Amino acid sequence: MEASATKAEPRRNPFSSPMARFIYKRVLTFIPIMLIMSLLIFIIIQLPPGDYLTTYIAGLKAEGQVVEEAEIAMLKEQFGLDQPWYVQYFKWIWNIITDFNFGYSFDFGRPVWPVIAEVLPMTIAVSLITMLFGYLVGIPLGIYSAVRQYSLGDYVLTFIGFLGMAMPNFLFAILLMYGTYIWTGTAFIGLYTEEILLAVNSGAMQWYHVLVHPDFWARMTIPILVMGTDGLCGTLRSMRAQMLDELGCQYVLAARAKGVSEARIIYKYCLRAALNPTVSGLSGMLSKIFNGSTISAIVLNLQIMGPRLYDALKAQDMYLAGTILLVMGFLIVLGTLLSDIVLAWLDPRIRFEGRSAD
Amino acid sequence: MEMNNQPIIQVKNLCVDIKTDEGTLTPVRGVDFEIRPGETLGLVGESGCGKSLTSKAILAINQKKCVSSGEILFRDDKEDTVDILTLDPRGKQIRDIRGRQISMIFQEPMVAFSPMYTIGNQINECTRLHITKDKKESKRITLEMMKKVGIANAEKRYDQYPHEFSGGMLQRALIAMALVCKPRLLIADEPTTALDVTIQAQILELMKELQKELGMAILFITHDLGTVAKMCDRVAVMYLGKIVETGTAREIYKNPQHPYTRGLMGSVHKIGTLKADRLFSIEGTVPLALNLGPGCGFYDRCLDRIEGVCDKADPALTCLGGEHCVACHKCRKEGV
Ligand SMILES: Nc1ncnc2c1ncn2[C@@H]1O[C@H](COP(=O)(O)OP(=O)(O)OP(=O)(O)O)[C@@H](O)[C@H]1O
Ligand SMILES: [Mg+2]
Repeated sequence: MEASATKAEPRRNPFSSPMARFIYKRVLTFIPIMLIMSLLIFIIIQLPPGDYLTTYIAGLKAEGQVVEEAEIAMLKEQFGLDQPWYVQYFKWIWNIITDFNFGYSFDFGRPVWPVIAEVLPMTIAVSLITMLFGYLVGIPLGIYSAVRQYSLGDYVLTFIGFLGMAMPNFLFAILLMYGTYIWTGTAFIGLYTEEILLAVNSGAMQWYHVLVHPDFWARMTIPILVMGTDGLCGTLRSMRAQMLDELGCQYVLAARAKGVSEARIIYKYCLRAALNPTVSGLSGMLSKIFNGSTISAIVLNLQIMGPRLYDALKAQDMYLAGTILLVMGFLIVLGTLLSDIVLAWLDPRIRFEGRSAD
Repeated sequence: MEMNNQPIIQVKNLCVDIKTDEGTLTPVRGVDFEIRPGETLGLVGESGCGKSLTSKAILAINQKKCVSSGEILFRDDKEDTVDILTLDPRGKQIRDIRGRQISMIFQEPMVAFSPMYTIGNQINECTRLHITKDKKESKRITLEMMKKVGIANAEKRYDQYPHEFSGGMLQRALIAMALVCKPRLLIADEPTTALDVTIQAQILELMKELQKELGMAILFITHDLGTVAKMCDRVAVMYLGKIVETGTAREIYKNPQHPYTRGLMGSVHKIGTLKADRLFSIEGTVPLALNLGPGCGFYDRCLDRIEGVCDKADPALTCLGGEHCVACHKCRKEGV
């Protein structure tokens, strides 16, 4: 973090710069926010009636199995479900802080962390790729649309932008899958072909091998389009609006009157100012990277975090769901902090705000 | 200093058309004037008469939907005459003129700087673009100009952002940015309207001093007649996109001919001071420059109009002798 402070203010001592103080203040608020959030998450997960065991036992009984009271009591004790919720909460938090132990997943019969860790690399890969796609395509198209306002290209992009934002992702996913099936005769469902899946399950392939496999990329095309289009269209629209605002500013005229070239006006002055809302949007990005999208992932049958959270919530697998939510919350707070730092670096007015308060 | 008293810029029959949804506006309808080296021409007129469009046309920085026609002949530092309207507005040639040979001071200093970069950075951009790529040297030149326009503590101010400057200081910085390359022509578009009175006086004084030192010509745009008296050698009065009267500042003040000019003067003298800054005391308002009739643009508001003449043809600018020209049917009749 100090590195970004030095970058922003190369001429000043980083410890006395407004940027360093700004970051320091923001980091201090981090801890209470995390504690309050973890408590809220735990309470909310406890809210639905019953718990994992009641659901589980009801399932067993429905299958006609006999479950003895003694066994139920034993299981309850083993999972700590017989204790009041706040005791469970403090134990959970205490184990996380002292031991990096996030509890036990009832559904998987294993500690929570490995259950999360096994889908984490692929989740991050899928999310990062779709996000990069959204930004790398959306930002330049937004700039183009603004600079060539009312041109044919602008109208086409505007149309696509609204369409992309209005169409639900799952519908787009189904249309694409249907289309490719009709076209190629292959169903592009899930991230892995059977061949890759076998190799992964037998341990012959690691996730990073999968990432360089051509079949994987064929499978990724639809998820990228489906999940990336949303971000892309949002970025495109906000970039266009922002750029138009900036291009209309008097300082653009002043720069032009100095003899600055159009290209330089765009990237030196307008782009920097126009990135503002896009950068604010980054605050939710880390959390999205961790979770991936849920509904599209279910429709597309992608083995990533989103569907896993959904299953955990359904099964009342509370420590698994709680941990996923906690990590997401942590990443949102962290993302907000990072995006604030980037914003402060981009816009000197924010950097100086705290000054008078000191 | 002028062995060579040929005009530095000649604007001939400049028109600016703007396409809008309601039709084509013609806010500038054939403007003619010229400015000689070292001279200050005041362009005066009510709000909306087309002063800013005219000045921006000279730098070819109007929006794309504003189409300029006519001629703007600029005599550059190599004594070549170029017609600015024939240049590509994004091209290298016009960009070399902008900032270095013709520069502009804007009306509102608060928004003429980008909030994202330091003042020093933005002034220095001009220096580096036109004078030297050498970092140290260009910073030295920039600082020198910042000191010259009266920015105290220039070294410290160099690294500050616009929001850390007061309005008056920002206007000084804007002047420094316009003058750092020692242009041959400075366009000052209402440079002091956003400032309070004492600061206004300081800024005007500063501009006069720098003009003496650098020998540049100034196109001074304003609607404050008091300022015109202080600053200008000659005056061009503009109404509804046309010059209706030009002459030396003395002639225009002593002997205004056009009814519009007289109205302006009257509105000043009535209040009894040259400090009256707005000219709203003429009856009526400037009509929109859309679907104008064949007659004089001032016809509806004119107290001396001749029916059957003034509403039939638009009077051309005719010289009454010396520098004094006026575009009015009545004046011409009386004058001859
Ligand atoms: N971009 C534009 N689109 C439509 N009309 C415009 C545009 N720019 C200027 N105009 C019109 O052209 C006319 C002249 O504008 P201009 O800015 O030159 O006025 P001005 O004489 O500088 O006035 P002020 O003293 O208020 O600055 C105005 O009536 C305005 O409505
Ligand atoms: Mg104006």
